[in-house]
Amino acid sequence: MQMMKIETPNNLDELINCLKNADSSSCLLGGGTDLIININNKKLYPNTIIDLSGVNELKEIKKNGSSISIGAGVTLTEVCENSFVKEKFPALAQATSQVGSTQIRNRATIAGNIGNSSPCADTVVPLMALNAKLKMLNGNGEYYHIPVDKAIKGSGKKNLKPNEAIIEIVIPYLKDTCSSAFYKIGSRKAVTISKLNGAVVVDINLNNTIVNAKVFLGSLGPKAFRSIMAEKVLMNKKPNKELLSEFQNILMKQVDEAIPGRGSQLYKRHAIKGMCEELFIRLFGESCIRGEI
Amino acid sequence: MEGGNQVELNMIVNGKKHNIDINPSDRLLDVLRDQLGLTSVKEGCGEGECGACTVIMNGDAVNSCTVLAIQARNKEIITTEGLEKNGELDELQKSFIRNGAIQCGFCTPGMLMSCKALLMKNPYPKEEEIRRAIEGNLCRCTGYTNIVKAVKDVVIR
Ligand SMILES: Cc1cc2nc3c(=O)[nH]c(=O)nc-3n(C[C@H](O)[C@H](O)[C@H](O)COP(=O)(O)OP(=O)(O)OC[C@H]3O[C@@H](n4cnc5c(N)ncnc54)[C@H](O)[C@@H]3O)c2cc1C
Repeated sequence: MQMMKIETPNNLDELINCLKNADSSSCLLGGGTDLIININNKKLYPNTIIDLSGVNELKEIKKNGSSISIGAGVTLTEVCENSFVKEKFPALAQATSQVGSTQIRNRATIAGNIGNSSPCADTVVPLMALNAKLKMLNGNGEYYHIPVDKAIKGSGKKNLKPNEAIIEIVIPYLKDTCSSAFYKIGSRKAVTISKLNGAVVVDINLNNTIVNAKVFLGSLGPKAFRSIMAEKVLMNKKPNKELLSEFQNILMKQVDEAIPGRGSQLYKRHAIKGMCEELFIRLFGESCIRGEI
Repeated sequence: MEGGNQVELNMIVNGKKHNIDINPSDRLLDVLRDQLGLTSVKEGCGEGECGACTVIMNGDAVNSCTVLAIQARNKEIITTEGLEKNGELDELQKSFIRNGAIQCGFCTPGMLMSCKALLMKNPYPKEEEIRRAIEGNLCRCTGYTNIVKAVKDVVIR
């Protein structure tokens, strides 16, 4: 049995020192809800583990002038219970509150969700729709920002170097006229891995017309992606029953294009209709698709 | 798990300070069961799904199978062994017994810790909050009804 080494930096300076020496056999440890299971199942044999849980600078949610930043060590419970996140970024609050169970959310982090790079990672979809950036730190002590998409190769592979760590997730504020929503479908109601997940951000003007839309989908390929065709359908329209049905049709087409011939295609092209409806209800309220408005 | 070079771990478990040497790759579950003999902490799935290994760490319910032991440094851990005070069971334990919330018993310690963590934060939980707190605890015997009843019963008393 190899000797595994554990490094326990207490602050960012110590973390930089750990990152300096990191190589492909090193692993960053966040909450451990993916990593520890993989190590215990002998799917991974890191020589060195850098435990981020002692770095206090990573445990804060900060409001800046034009964005909010969520430290890499903030748990999903802390994110989904944060009143500012709930008010300003409901899509992220909804996604984080639906990851795993209470025990998982009490440990899991957004940084770990990105680092795990699963195709069905729930927090990645709303982060992309919200145009979030990652603040990174490397072994040379350099700080820089990258888009979420750039950190993920896909199919469980991250696109990060061993000597760099996500230290903050930075989300720009939306205009007051914007709203956002997330929805996931799994094989059961709770503690379930997504079979489909999606997030939508819309900007609605005073005439109740959608003047901007972002649509991102997960669990339909190696990693979450943007559906430009769905965004086009929503643009310059009023949210109502007819628009819902156009939205459903275009996302069925998107499923067909994303996973042609895959065993799950038939299921997912139907299931996505339900997801569209739930997203509409979360964004525009029940009344927009039920009765007259 | 074995792992070679030992590291030092300081933590408080059930009110008692411990300073022990552990393998770097030990999970909190391994240390609690095998080194401290706290066998209420069960290994079920070992994958964070079943909740049988749930303990309370600094007030939060966590799966001790997904926590690397070293991450518990300077933390306060409560296991089911720590619920009993001066030879008397905790009100929650009494309520589980009174309400038939235990059948085979394998999930019970984890279930108790999830419910205890909830009650520590929220002494008057609603039914939906109780159900959410135990989403991560599988029980194949009781159908959960009597477990939820037991928690409500503690709240009423
Ligand atoms: C029972 C169960 C249910 C789950 N349910 C869901 C679910 O519903 N939805 C979902 O999306 N996921 C789910 N997961 C997966 C997991 O909980 C999430 O992916 C979680 O967000 C991982 O975070 P962590 O902090 O525990 O990551 P860790 O396990 O600590 O790390 C995961 C990966 O990210 C890397 N990493 C960690 N921190 C950083 C950092 N700061 N910078 C760079 N890389 C980093 C690690 O090196 C590792 O490769 C579930 C897992 C379990 C066990």
